[in-house]
Amino acid sequence: MESARTKIALIGSPNSGKSLLFNRLTGLNQKVANFPGITVDISSGKSLTGDSTEYLDFPGVYSLHTISAEEKVAVDTFHKALETGQLSAVVCVVDSTRLEKGLIFALQVIETCRRHSTPIVIAANMVDVLDQHSMQIDTQGLSAAFKVPVLAISGKTGMGLEHLPPCIAATSAPTEPFSMASDIIASDDSLTHRQAQQLANTYGPKGDLLINAQTRLDTFFLHSWFGGVSFFVIMYLLFQSIFTWAAPVMDAVETLIQFLASVVLPLVPAGMASDFTADALFGGIGAFLVFVPQIFVLTLVVGMLEDSGYLARAAVICHKPLRLFGLTGKSFIPMLSSVACAIPGIYAARTVDSPRKRWLTYLAIPLMPCSARLPVYSLLIAAFIPAQKTLGGLIGWQGLAMFGIYVFGIVCALLVTAAVSRSSVEMRSDLPFVLEMPPYRLPSWRPLLRNAWNRSKHFVTKAGKIIFIVTVVIWILGYFPNQGASLGDSWLGTMGQWIEPVFASFGLDWKYGVAILTSFLAREVFVGTLGTLFGIEGAEENFVSLSQQIQDSGLPIGSGVALLVFFAIALQCVSTLAVLARETGSWRLPTQLFISYSIFAYAAAFATFHLVEFFV
Amino acid sequence: MTLWDLKQGTSATVSQFKASVEASYRTRLCELGFHPGELIACVMAPSLGAPKLYRVNDTVYSLDDSIASMIEVA
Repeated sequence: MESARTKIALIGSPNSGKSLLFNRLTGLNQKVANFPGITVDISSGKSLTGDSTEYLDFPGVYSLHTISAEEKVAVDTFHKALETGQLSAVVCVVDSTRLEKGLIFALQVIETCRRHSTPIVIAANMVDVLDQHSMQIDTQGLSAAFKVPVLAISGKTGMGLEHLPPCIAATSAPTEPFSMASDIIASDDSLTHRQAQQLANTYGPKGDLLINAQTRLDTFFLHSWFGGVSFFVIMYLLFQSIFTWAAPVMDAVETLIQFLASVVLPLVPAGMASDFTADALFGGIGAFLVFVPQIFVLTLVVGMLEDSGYLARAAVICHKPLRLFGLTGKSFIPMLSSVACAIPGIYAARTVDSPRKRWLTYLAIPLMPCSARLPVYSLLIAAFIPAQKTLGGLIGWQGLAMFGIYVFGIVCALLVTAAVSRSSVEMRSDLPFVLEMPPYRLPSWRPLLRNAWNRSKHFVTKAGKIIFIVTVVIWILGYFPNQGASLGDSWLGTMGQWIEPVFASFGLDWKYGVAILTSFLAREVFVGTLGTLFGIEGAEENFVSLSQQIQDSGLPIGSGVALLVFFAIALQCVSTLAVLARETGSWRLPTQLFISYSIFAYAAAFATFHLVEFFV
Repeated sequence: MTLWDLKQGTSATVSQFKASVEASYRTRLCELGFHPGELIACVMAPSLGAPKLYRVNDTVYSLDDSIASMIEVA
């Protein structure tokens, strides 16, 4: 049954600014639309104007003639939505600074909408950039040529957006096929291309100002020396920012938790309730909340790099080196996204059009240092590395250690793909490397902050639920049957002693063993579990930071480094496994990865412990 | 001569694709602008064999040797 809500599809090429426009139109009222049985994410959002309009943001595609399975799914979904009459109208978004490319696609969409009697509006986006350079686009001329409305808008500044809803409401489906006075006799593709070129030349912005500015910046960022140096500086700053920008907020969160603990704990009746509040709530969940600011900063900085256009240049820089490891420059963006979280990384791997390279990218993603590892790394680094700075305060040892463990994860990922790509001859089909270079742009802060906020919120709500349940279960097992009198004699203590020999081989006692086991649900659970266990054992009156408690427990440095190595490799994330299964269509790859990375992690941690203990 | 042989700052016209380029990919390259008869400029040829940057009208693409050497230019 057709919904009473007016559904409007936004469709456009990648880098046309379609998602920015979608954010403008819908604000925060977004969710992933439910299109059963497909593996593309189509976001849907209610109009901010409060009417019954719902906007659907289709994945960016270059053409309605598809070359990959993912594009085919997205385009088939679009066709199906048109055929079943689900769409009231289509808004085709084109980048007015690069009009010809957008018009080739627009011509295809106009023809498709005509066949399905669906109204269409062309949104010539990014006119704010044209304005800045005193350039213009003749939307009236284009409208007359297309016989469909063309509106000049800016998803970034909101310019012209007030005209979009009334224009959509007033327009009707195109009735006659697009034609131009043209003497060109050629194939369909060739004709579309010539028509788009002619239209862009007649009605589009004139001059090479924008492309010349882009080329000047490319000359710097892709220069043999400056390009390489700037790449490493940008990546290094990314990791330093996690500490330097997030540290004050993390301190504030920790102080707030301490303050709340000091206010709340005296109000709770002494005994079990007080112990639960102190150990499970403030100890377990509090220990994990401290790390949320770092996730926020990381997502913000990765988003900033992506929106500025730099990530595409980084993909060019990385293509040749990544090819040595069986990957492609296009693997760089999913791999870097995985530094925030493996799940968006897995989704981003759809942009790797070669099936074989995408499969290899999937092998690399779980080894990329994701933000869920961050709480574990931060905790262990804070416990083992002094908070001192060198080179006049420019470089912090803790930041350097974090950089080191991140590099270790990346190196592991590359070595795995290199080994597998050389030994596996499965799926030989390959697509070549063709990557559009988006123009350099100043990032738009609002959507970036919103994305970082959503990611942090998602982290707290999704991981928080698991952490809360695990924390409560761990607390109950650790508190009974002797009401917290002795952790070693509790149910958890008994269970821990069974598994102690497994982790004793790298110098860890049973508490860490239990924390590692629970962290197979999600890595960050490790911090909460350990916080709860130390809380029960210590029974301190005051809230003491977990890293301080680890320091006080006298854990050898070899064990600390072995733990870092273990967490860098092991695939301890149920969500990653589930999303991989969804994307690859079977549980085969996730199961193989889970088993092999667990064995690899254990062996590497074992070797690290003995090496460090031998040399230190 | 192929697109990959173009030096930085020079231009040439696409003449044809080598036979090994799949039909579907040939269509996509045409849609992106690498169309027989089209003038393509090599705007950047980074060192160490990194993919080169080619300008097609108002858009710049990066192509590596495996595909750029399949597009013949004159």
